[in-house]
Amino acid sequence: MIAVGSTDTTLLAAIAATKLPFVAFAVILLLTRRRPRLSAGLSLTAIAVSLASAGFLLVKHWGIARPIEYAALWLAGGDVSVRVGILIDPLSLIMLAVVAAICLLVQVYSLGYMAGDPGFSRYYAFMSLFAWAMTNLTLAPTLLQLYIFWELVGLASYLLIGFWYEKFSASEAGKKAFVMTRCGDVAFFLGLLLILVHLGNLDIRELNGAAAGRLSPTVVTAGALLIFGGIIGKSAQFPLLTWLPDAMEGPTPVSALLHSATMVAAGVYLFARLFPFFSLSPTALGVCLAVGTVSMLIASTMAMVSRDIKQVWAYSTISQLGLMIMGLAAGNYVAGVFHLTTHAAFKALLFLCSGVFIHAFHSNDMVVIGRQGGRRLRVPMACLVIAAAALSGIPPFSGYFSKERILGALADLPNPLWVAAGLLGAFLTTYYTFRLIFIILFPAPGGEDTAQSHGSEHGHHGGYAVMAWPLVILAAVSVALGFGEKAVAQFLLNPFGSVTPAAAHHAWLPYAALGLSAAAMLLAWFEFGRRGAGQIGFVERVAPLHALFGERWYIDRAYRWLLDQVVYRLFSRLCARNDQKIIDGAVDGLGRVIAAGGGRMSILHTGMVQYRLIVVFVSIALMAIYFFI
Amino acid sequence: MGIPFGYVLALAGIVVVLGMICATTRRNLIMILLGVEVMLNGAAIAFIAAALRWQQLEGQAFVLFIIAIAAAEVSLGLALIVYLYHRTGSLNPEDYQVLK
Repeated sequence: MIAVGSTDTTLLAAIAATKLPFVAFAVILLLTRRRPRLSAGLSLTAIAVSLASAGFLLVKHWGIARPIEYAALWLAGGDVSVRVGILIDPLSLIMLAVVAAICLLVQVYSLGYMAGDPGFSRYYAFMSLFAWAMTNLTLAPTLLQLYIFWELVGLASYLLIGFWYEKFSASEAGKKAFVMTRCGDVAFFLGLLLILVHLGNLDIRELNGAAAGRLSPTVVTAGALLIFGGIIGKSAQFPLLTWLPDAMEGPTPVSALLHSATMVAAGVYLFARLFPFFSLSPTALGVCLAVGTVSMLIASTMAMVSRDIKQVWAYSTISQLGLMIMGLAAGNYVAGVFHLTTHAAFKALLFLCSGVFIHAFHSNDMVVIGRQGGRRLRVPMACLVIAAAALSGIPPFSGYFSKERILGALADLPNPLWVAAGLLGAFLTTYYTFRLIFIILFPAPGGEDTAQSHGSEHGHHGGYAVMAWPLVILAAVSVALGFGEKAVAQFLLNPFGSVTPAAAHHAWLPYAALGLSAAAMLLAWFEFGRRGAGQIGFVERVAPLHALFGERWYIDRAYRWLLDQVVYRLFSRLCARNDQKIIDGAVDGLGRVIAAGGGRMSILHTGMVQYRLIVVFVSIALMAIYFFI
Repeated sequence: MGIPFGYVLALAGIVVVLGMICATTRRNLIMILLGVEVMLNGAAIAFIAAALRWQQLEGQAFVLFIIAIAAAEVSLGLALIVYLYHRTGSLNPEDYQVLK
């Protein structure tokens, strides 16, 4: 159904936004691999046009009430029909703009970060693939199209996480990310099949509209839970969360992209996309809420003990995604989507800043970075502080607005447990964020000895300026985005009849959240920031707790055990036995039977002329009997 | 026309069977060859009897051919046997196992 008033420019812009990165990907891989500068230029041009188109669409359709859909029938048979095309509604427009903007900034940043890498062209090819997959995922009108690009996003992230494939840990991490997300995708695909069988098509709008009402509640719940399985894998929620910290093996810009706008955001985006469908099943929402809460808390605790600067942000991503899912599952669509948007900006900023430090000091360890004079890099340091403040939900920054909305949604729930968990999460988030900031900003005394040798790192890295600009832009966005809250909320709610659900006003909530954040910041300052601080967190004083958090709650160990005991011991062994005994046995047996049969038959071939003569006579006699009698 | 056709045919059959037994049971190449000759002669008897029975000359002509071919076959066969004997020092067909 095409809404009245849509013109061809919309379609053209949408096509430009979604298809150009693929052209760049193909051209780079096929033609310009040997010319890194040209490849980067192509990729950047494609994504820049993409961003321009996305911006054009956003401006042109600001305030649309009815979604615009261009679609063609792709697959039809019997009761089943699947279409492909483009769906433009507020959610997809916002997401498209976010994706294109972050992709462009990250690609610009990568000009500096990846300079001189032998795989420069390959890097930009994969980046384009990533952008293509994600933009198409965003605009997909049917779940099948979404699923296809969902898998392509997974593929691109696999390629980029394992970009430095010579490093064993990197290729392992890529594999882990791919396999773990695939576990979730199996559930997602089963959910798709379930819905396809019962509904006959996979149109997102039909699924969100009245059509879903025809489904039985059981089917809705089962479908929602299965699709949520895919979200768990993609957005690294409990229990499939351990691939994300390992994904830090990729180049830092890749992590920035992966964590803010593309890979993991796809999971939450899908949840928001199918939000009305999920809302039909309170059971599914309950499960989502629980999973989001558990992931948020667990990941925050992990971030409290990690010394790897990128891993802290990785855990924080898991925790923030958990928060978004909590917000959505609590029934507040705007809160989740808005937090997704603001999070994209400040998380990309956090990673890109960390990338500058890692690039300059060749270390991921925050203590080492602090000792070597991380604070001398003023621009990234300032941006890091801004992003950290946004992450912690400090007032003027964007994170504050989105987080308040989510906490407000949680406070609306009848059970006070959820909002308590949300507040605890906010406390932990602020604590681990400022722990990192203070460690870098106020290094422990006695560690400054190496600072001089690195003091002039600015000059050595020609790409510094090109890396700094995206930081400044993102920092500006992180600050400004929060003030667009009302407009974005209104825009998002348009298709729902622009009736803003009158949320109960919780006057105490901002104070509680801010008070907890301040307390966490004070605690962090006391332990890490003040002069003469031991730089030992309260968690690290309790050995078992430290071990538990440091070992990621033994989730990886549990998977290892499961793999060793169940998969390798049981399944692999059964398969091996099947292979050796049954398949090999059958083949060998066939050979043996033939050999034995040949042995029997070889009696006929004694070489004795007379036996053959007998055979001749006997057969003549038999023929005589046959013919004459 | 003193002897009935059936008797002659029975005689021919007996001769053929005797030749067959000789050819299959003896362990001497010369005797095997002789057995084959006997069988041929049995067949020749049957032809003669049939020629008489139906008063047709073709049967007798056939027998002449059989005798000629049998003579050729015997001469050739004996030559081969002599050659084999020279090569292996034996006339027993069981000893010829080069191909086995």
